[in-house]
Amino acid sequence: METLFLSGCSLLLLACVLPFIARITPGKTARRIALFVLLSGLACITTASLICFLSGAECIRLLYSLTPELVFDIHFDSLSSFFISLIGFVSFCTALYSFNYIEHGGTEKRRLVLTALLPLFILSMIMVVAADNMFGFLFFWEIMSISSFLLMMYDREKAETQKAGIFYFVMTQFGTLFLFIAFLLIYRYTNTFDIKATDALPQVVKSFAFIAIFIGFGTKAGIIPFHKWLPYAHSVAPSNVSALMSGVMLKVAIYGLCRFAFDVLQPELWWGFVLLAFGTVSALLGVIYALKEHDLKKLLAYHSIENIGIIVVGLGLYVIFNYYGLEIPANLSLVGALFHTLNHAVFKSLLFMTAGSVVQATGTRNIEKMGGLVKKMPVTAVLFLIGSCAISALPPLNGFASEIMIFQAYLESFELNNPVVEIVMVIGLAAFALMSALAAACFVKAFGVVFLAKPRSREAGKAREVSFGMLAGPAILALTCIVLGVFSFQIISGIGFDLPVPNMLPVSILLLLIILIFAGLLKLFHAPVRISETWGCGIAKQTPAMEYTATGFSEPIVTIFRLIFRTKKSNEKEYFDSAESITKRTEAKITTFKFFEERIYMPLAHLFMKIAAFISQKHNKDLETFMVYAFVTIVLLLVTAGFWL
Amino acid sequence: MIDAILFNDIIHGLFVLIMGTAALIITQRSLTSLFNIYAAQSMILAVMAIVMYIEYGTLNLLFIALLTIIVKTVFIPLFLHNVLKRIPVKRDLQFSFLSPASSILISAVLIFIVYFFFTGLAGDMLDDRPLLLGGVIGISLALMGMMIIFSRKKVITKSIGYLTMENGVLLFSLFMAEMPFIIEVLIVIDLLMIIVLAAVLAFGIDSSLEEFHKKLNRLGIWIED
Repeated sequence: METLFLSGCSLLLLACVLPFIARITPGKTARRIALFVLLSGLACITTASLICFLSGAECIRLLYSLTPELVFDIHFDSLSSFFISLIGFVSFCTALYSFNYIEHGGTEKRRLVLTALLPLFILSMIMVVAADNMFGFLFFWEIMSISSFLLMMYDREKAETQKAGIFYFVMTQFGTLFLFIAFLLIYRYTNTFDIKATDALPQVVKSFAFIAIFIGFGTKAGIIPFHKWLPYAHSVAPSNVSALMSGVMLKVAIYGLCRFAFDVLQPELWWGFVLLAFGTVSALLGVIYALKEHDLKKLLAYHSIENIGIIVVGLGLYVIFNYYGLEIPANLSLVGALFHTLNHAVFKSLLFMTAGSVVQATGTRNIEKMGGLVKKMPVTAVLFLIGSCAISALPPLNGFASEIMIFQAYLESFELNNPVVEIVMVIGLAAFALMSALAAACFVKAFGVVFLAKPRSREAGKAREVSFGMLAGPAILALTCIVLGVFSFQIISGIGFDLPVPNMLPVSILLLLIILIFAGLLKLFHAPVRISETWGCGIAKQTPAMEYTATGFSEPIVTIFRLIFRTKKSNEKEYFDSAESITKRTEAKITTFKFFEERIYMPLAHLFMKIAAFISQKHNKDLETFMVYAFVTIVLLLVTAGFWL
Repeated sequence: MIDAILFNDIIHGLFVLIMGTAALIITQRSLTSLFNIYAAQSMILAVMAIVMYIEYGTLNLLFIALLTIIVKTVFIPLFLHNVLKRIPVKRDLQFSFLSPASSILISAVLIFIVYFFFTGLAGDMLDDRPLLLGGVIGISLALMGMMIIFSRKKVITKSIGYLTMENGVLLFSLFMAEMPFIIEVLIVIDLLMIIVLAAVLAFGIDSSLEEFHKKLNRLGIWIED
């Protein structure tokens, strides 16, 4: 099994270099070969980790040791093999999708680079999860950050991409900085870089380590308020890359959080509340921000924040229940959170890939310019619908299966016998329920505006169904969505958890029967079909401009949450005459306030710019000034040395 | 071997002379006398090395004295005088950051600071006063050389500052740390390089670094705000 895994890894490495060494063949063939190698490597890795996960075997193997402390090694236990299977499976489908997707847009050279970086990115994510040493962990963590950054900068000429790139790069380094702090703190007290459970840390240090871990992984996972890079980065990246980033890379951060907060350090009660609070805020704000977004990929990115929020809520509940010794709700919330991690990876990459197909077909990301695509791209529409249903947590799909577990865990909180905690739980539950409803509303908007009605622009009218290759990957994921949902009870008890989870199989069979009967009845007793023009309030010629728009759909919700959006509506009119009866010009605007960007990120950035300007002004000087600096430094050193020694 | 008290007196006297020359270097405006004072300072150092050779009998010290006399009191001043003949500058009247008077004041304070903190650092060497004083004055001299570098404008004077710094290092090494002779030689080679470079700069660009800046600015090599 180890051999299988390692050969998979080496196939991935081969796929990295293949596009470059196979220069003789035309680029397309080289890319195909590289992707085939990537696919086979991922198949090996996924099989190996699935075997490991199902058999519950542990395996540790040293790969290379730089010094006795700094080593690269792999360690499979149930947690890491679960995440590796997840990464392997979703990456497999994404790679399948990439076969045709990669051939559109960009220059020949960039496509080659994209093909080469893709396996590197996937391999680094796998190795981060497999690492058993903090050094190896950070090493691959950084490779993951850098390769994803390079992948994201595919359209690097665009100002939008550059802004997103800088945002992402700064944020990811910011997060890594905190990881360094946390790891060095742990090393300081354990004297080893191995990732293993320890209780050597004093209480205060442990708290600091947790905060650093939370900020570090939270930045990568996109927990609010560290989320701002996510919508920017996901929207400008190529769709297969954003599928990987959103579907898989965020999960690596979740893995890190689980591993370091729950396994290496023993959690305390207040950590649970921190996770719960940040998770709830992320889930709620994520979906609220998603509602007003009209950029299809940004909308999905905000939903990633929401779903990461759900996962973090699950982890927080686990800590709280675990502290009070309630085993069933604790397991329920942990398994729910991890199951949701898997589910989110599946349906979010499905949605990103189908969104990528749509964007490629229409040439725009603005959903206001789409519409009517269900007739042009029927298969993509069905796949997107399945993803939407899953992410909106409609039974019997997988999103429902995992969210219900977290709901159940919430409902078990009456057993806690602590009024304060119970009140917190009830507030959290209410926010959680609101979030679920809003998510459904958001995807009604997304699906409705993108696929239904008539095309709103000429590009949307000319869209065509994408090729088979770009449907196969999402189709596998859509099928997985259904399987994971319908057989959720069987899967969870098969793994060995005896949890009070609803058995969805009979429900789905019932549902299917009802649909079949209804369809049959409809077919038998349908009224004769009459085709005519929709009544358009008497207007003779109807245009797509009269359709219900995304802005119109989300307007009531934006108005309800105007406190969060800080929406400002302005309506200016100029008139020709003094009686104000003939309008010359009107301008109406609805602006929303980007709270995090304008109140937190930008002031911070300005502060640093000021410091940087001050320093650069101080250091762009002549020789004399530098000598003064050196002189003053030497005198100060002398004085401090004299005081200390 | 000479009498210990006499040795102490001679050494102390030489220290005073060195401090005097240092003060003169800081304030002197005429370039010719600046070079002469530098030569005199190096000569005093050489004398000090000879005195110490007589006291301790280490052959190294004699070599150092010889090297100092040949290079620093004869060759470098001669070379500098030569350079001076060919450039239009005869005096350095420009000061930045510090005027000569405040330079003197600051160097006085500096010697106190160095003395105060150096006694803490030196530890068990406290009872050997000439050695300790040598270290203190060596460091102060090096710092004063640095002050010359940043407070004087002309390249030639800056090079004198650098040479003074080196003298401070030599003084320090005479008393506090036994420097291998080879390092001494290497330092002297460095000095020669500095002098040659200073000459090139002085010839090429009218002897002030500011003009050098402007030229580089025009070329876009030196980025200034």
